[in-house]
Amino acid sequence: FVAFYILQYYITVILKFASVGKSCLLLQFTDKRFQPVHDLTIGVEFGARMITIDGKQIKLQIWDTAGQESFRSITRSYYRGAAGALLVYDITRRDTFNHLTTWLEDARQHSNSNMVIMLIGNKSDLESRREVKKEEGEAFAREHGLIFMETSAKTASNVEEAFINTAKEIYEKIQEGVFDINNEANGIKIGPQHAATNSSLAGGQGGQQAGGGCC
Amino acid sequence: MNFIRGVIGGQPAGAQPSGVETIQKLCDRVASSTLLEDRRDAVRALKSLSKKYRMEVGTQAMEHLIRILQTDRSDSEILGYALDTLYNIICNDEDEEQDESEDAAAPVSGKTKSVSAPEDTQRKQDDIGSQFTERFIQEPENVTLLLSLLEEFDFHVRWPGVKLLTALLKCQCTQLQGVILVSPMGVSRLMDLLADSREVIRNDGLLLLQQLTKGNAAIQKIVAFENAFERLLDIMAEEGSSDGGIVVEDCLLLLLTLLKNNSSNQNFFKEGSYIQRMKPWFEVGDDNSGWSAQKVTNLHLMLQLVRVLVSPVNSPGATASCQKTMFQCGLLQQLCTILMATGVPADILTETINTVSEVIRGSQVNQDYFASVNAPSNPPRPAIVVLLMSMVNERQPFVLRCAVLYCFQCFLYKNQKGQSEIVATLLPSTIDANSISAGQLLCGGLFSADSLSNWCAAVALGHALQDNLTQKEQLLRVQLATSLGKPPVSLLQQCTNILSQGDKLSRRGSRVQARVGLLMLLCTWMSNCPIAVTHFLHNQDNVPFLTAQISENLGEDERLVQGLCALLLGICIYYNDNSLENYTREKLKQLVEKRIGKENFVEKLGFITKHELYSRAAQKPQPTFSTPEHMLFDHEFTRLVKELEGIITKAVHKSSEEEKKEEEVKKSLEQHDSIVTQYKELIREQDVQLNELKDQVALLTAHQEQMQTTITQQLSQIQQHKDQYNILKLKLGKDGVVSGQAEEAHENGLQLEEFTLLRDELEELRRQHAQLQTQVTEKDTLITSLKTEGLRPVEGSGIASGPTELLKEVEALREQVQNQEVEIANLHSDRQELQRRADTVVSSAVSVGEAGSVSQVAELESRLSAQTAETHRLQEELRGLSEVKAALEKELASATSTVAILQAEKSRLQQDVSESKKEQDDLLMLLADQDQKILTLKHKLKDLGEMVEDEDDLDARDPSEEDEEEEEDDDE
Repeated sequence: FVAFYILQYYITVILKFASVGKSCLLLQFTDKRFQPVHDLTIGVEFGARMITIDGKQIKLQIWDTAGQESFRSITRSYYRGAAGALLVYDITRRDTFNHLTTWLEDARQHSNSNMVIMLIGNKSDLESRREVKKEEGEAFAREHGLIFMETSAKTASNVEEAFINTAKEIYEKIQEGVFDINNEANGIKIGPQHAATNSSLAGGQGGQQAGGGCC
Repeated sequence: MNFIRGVIGGQPAGAQPSGVETIQKLCDRVASSTLLEDRRDAVRALKSLSKKYRMEVGTQAMEHLIRILQTDRSDSEILGYALDTLYNIICNDEDEEQDESEDAAAPVSGKTKSVSAPEDTQRKQDDIGSQFTERFIQEPENVTLLLSLLEEFDFHVRWPGVKLLTALLKCQCTQLQGVILVSPMGVSRLMDLLADSREVIRNDGLLLLQQLTKGNAAIQKIVAFENAFERLLDIMAEEGSSDGGIVVEDCLLLLLTLLKNNSSNQNFFKEGSYIQRMKPWFEVGDDNSGWSAQKVTNLHLMLQLVRVLVSPVNSPGATASCQKTMFQCGLLQQLCTILMATGVPADILTETINTVSEVIRGSQVNQDYFASVNAPSNPPRPAIVVLLMSMVNERQPFVLRCAVLYCFQCFLYKNQKGQSEIVATLLPSTIDANSISAGQLLCGGLFSADSLSNWCAAVALGHALQDNLTQKEQLLRVQLATSLGKPPVSLLQQCTNILSQGDKLSRRGSRVQARVGLLMLLCTWMSNCPIAVTHFLHNQDNVPFLTAQISENLGEDERLVQGLCALLLGICIYYNDNSLENYTREKLKQLVEKRIGKENFVEKLGFITKHELYSRAAQKPQPTFSTPEHMLFDHEFTRLVKELEGIITKAVHKSSEEEKKEEEVKKSLEQHDSIVTQYKELIREQDVQLNELKDQVALLTAHQEQMQTTITQQLSQIQQHKDQYNILKLKLGKDGVVSGQAEEAHENGLQLEEFTLLRDELEELRRQHAQLQTQVTEKDTLITSLKTEGLRPVEGSGIASGPTELLKEVEALREQVQNQEVEIANLHSDRQELQRRADTVVSSAVSVGEAGSVSQVAELESRLSAQTAETHRLQEELRGLSEVKAALEKELASATSTVAILQAEKSRLQQDVSESKKEQDDLLMLLADQDQKILTLKHKLKDLGEMVEDEDDLDARDPSEEDEEEEEDDDE
């Protein structure tokens, strides 16, 4: 009965440094535009976009969390209840890469064990100023069991892929039954309005179940 | 417990001996008793005393109670008592008791807050609470401890825990929010309270979250992230939505806190499809048997929630997308149903109108929908008309009339279509006399006896003209029939008439309000519309009226009217197109200077913005006035004033010389402009030229390419010709080798001679043959007489001479061919040269700069034409050569055919020759036979004994000689 519903994934974008450009990443993904000068993310910003996987409409709800150290405790609150996370560093800044371990530990400690984490090396358009090699990113990802990708929020290269691949990974985990879709703490939700309309139709049983999960 | 004693050392020991002592004893027991039961009893006793001896218990027992929370976590009962006690100490909501507050007056443990005013007990209470709260949260671990206790499922722990935390938050909100925010999963745990199956805890959890989220965007976002919207909407649905009780109200209050001024949460609310879930809230139906106070409150909050999402202060994009969703999910339609329903309480109706206003404001689709809504009356009337009827109806509540004005204003905001529709209801061509129209209502309001209606109608009409020059001009066409027999008056004129003459009506309400309304309408109408200004100035009375108003020294309440008159006069100056001779810009300015004085004029103009109500109206679009008398300014009008004040001040201050200078500057600017335009033109022309040239270059390049292909074609042709030549050469060579016959025939004259020679010879041979025959006959006759006769045919030929001449001929031909070859080689090199030049032309064509393109192109063209000519010449030459070649070939062919003829002749002759030889042979045979016969006859004669001359030898030899010669003949 899954085909009837909209799945909602809560995906948080987590990142160490505010200037790394992950807000640009979210803006590029949800609004398809690039903003070179962006205010520091204060706390958390919300963004959403609809994508299609396997012919199913999936709404990605993304909380863009601030990268500064001072917001770390706030950021922690967003690990629980997230189905996936994008851990972003800046390929032109070695320090952002060096801090990944801390942030990864934090994420692992506070999140659901099934949370899909993707490692993103952003600003791939600034090849001349690169400080972190692609191989290093790949090695880090391999070592910690993450998916890896290099993106550019400026040129929009791989931005779609980064979010969609993460969503696909989550989707596969749902198909495998790893996630309990009735437990909202996993960051996955079945669209209520669809469940409601379907319950009045033939597939009433499925609708009931899904509705129960939402309450 | 020396420590505590020390802390409260300042307290007189005997004030409340029993109470203080008891408390101290209990504290000792809590601290020192090893038995859980003892401690529990002591804490219970403290709890019972905590309300009466709040101060004492607070100062002495807090540390002990906190220690209990840390150490006795296994016993829920004692935890419950401890939490209750702490709650009693901290909470300020309790009904205070007199003696307690007197105690509280004593200074507390080093805190310097002097609470000496006994009359303000509530404040003292608050101070006690916040002081204890401060003490409690001095150690952030205490808060963490409390948060961990909330995970305890036991009702006796969880419930007082929730209450305590709520109380703490009420006292020291910001600090506590900070502590909770940084404690791991702090906010998330509190969110779990909403999932508690025990309603008391869930409901108190709601109150806790209300306090927790107050003014803290970070916490609001985390709460939203933790699915607060979903939970709250579910709870509301469970509790019966708008018909539900106070829990619904609490949910709504929490939702409001989460969404107000929090764009991230608003976005999440919209993206989470929660707007759709708001729609059923407003399905209140028409039966409306009862509107309980709770239901009114709930609906109020629900409407506010809608307004939070589409508030004009939100970012335009966010508001627009929420407005769109509200239309798509039918929320707007539902609200309009309430608008038109009967029996809805007035304040709900008012708020609904305000809500609808903001849902449609600036959204074309929603505005169009709103225009189409009809009231369920008979006949159906547009909702706009019904609402306007309320606006100009003085019996309707003031707030409702304001709401309608706001609704009308929002309907026309950035809605040119709506503006034109409203104005159209006033125009003579489209007026419909049978039904009440918006225009009629507005006019009625404009000239009614109620000043509030005047003001509202004037402002509403002003909104129909806002930023819309077309409608400003259209409205000038409106004519009013004032009374029978008098000519119709234009609407503009009627407005000024009321202003200048003062109407004779005995007004209800303030006269100032009506005049302010009319002046605002006139200012809006005439600003940026010179035609309206001219129309206004056309009436001779208007300007004197304005100057009189401004220059008069009137009372306080008339100052605003003076200011507005100054603004109107300013507009007449600034937007003057100088079409009326008496009222040109210059003349009006002189008038101001003479009659009013510049400074005075500017001062009067300044009255508008200095008015206390001006800034209030400037803040937000919604017209909200505490009393009808305060209804003086419109939001859009304040924007207009801000825009015009500076401009008009500048325009008035400018002297005529300055004006002239400005004119000059303007002129010179215009000149500059014209120069610039000229240059622009020039640039445009050049651009066109450039493009043309570019096209030409492209064309030439194409031409060049074409030429090149032609050259290649010709090259291949030449090659072909060369090949043909080679083949011909080869063929010629072969001909020379293979047959001398072919070449021997080349010279006809000689051959003919030979031929005749041959023929002569043949003739001779024939003659000889005849001779021989005669000889044979002679011999025959001589059979007896023995006669000898012999002749030999002679043949000769000039074979040797013929071939030499042919060879010579061939040589000559070869030479010719060689010449041609050389020529072809020349052609070839010429062609290469051409190609090379063509290449350079191409390359140069590519590098042609735009500037020198013309000359270069010309050069290229000439070169190309030269090349073309040369190519033509070469082609001509080639053609000549091929012609020569063809002629030669023809010659060759004719020669070959002559040879063939000659050969045929020759073979015929040879046949003749062989025939004659055969004949000759036969003759020889005959001769031999005859010789034999002669010999036998001789022998016979010898035998017979007769003498014969010795001729035998000679005869025998002669025939052999003949044979030899014949053989030679055969060889030919």
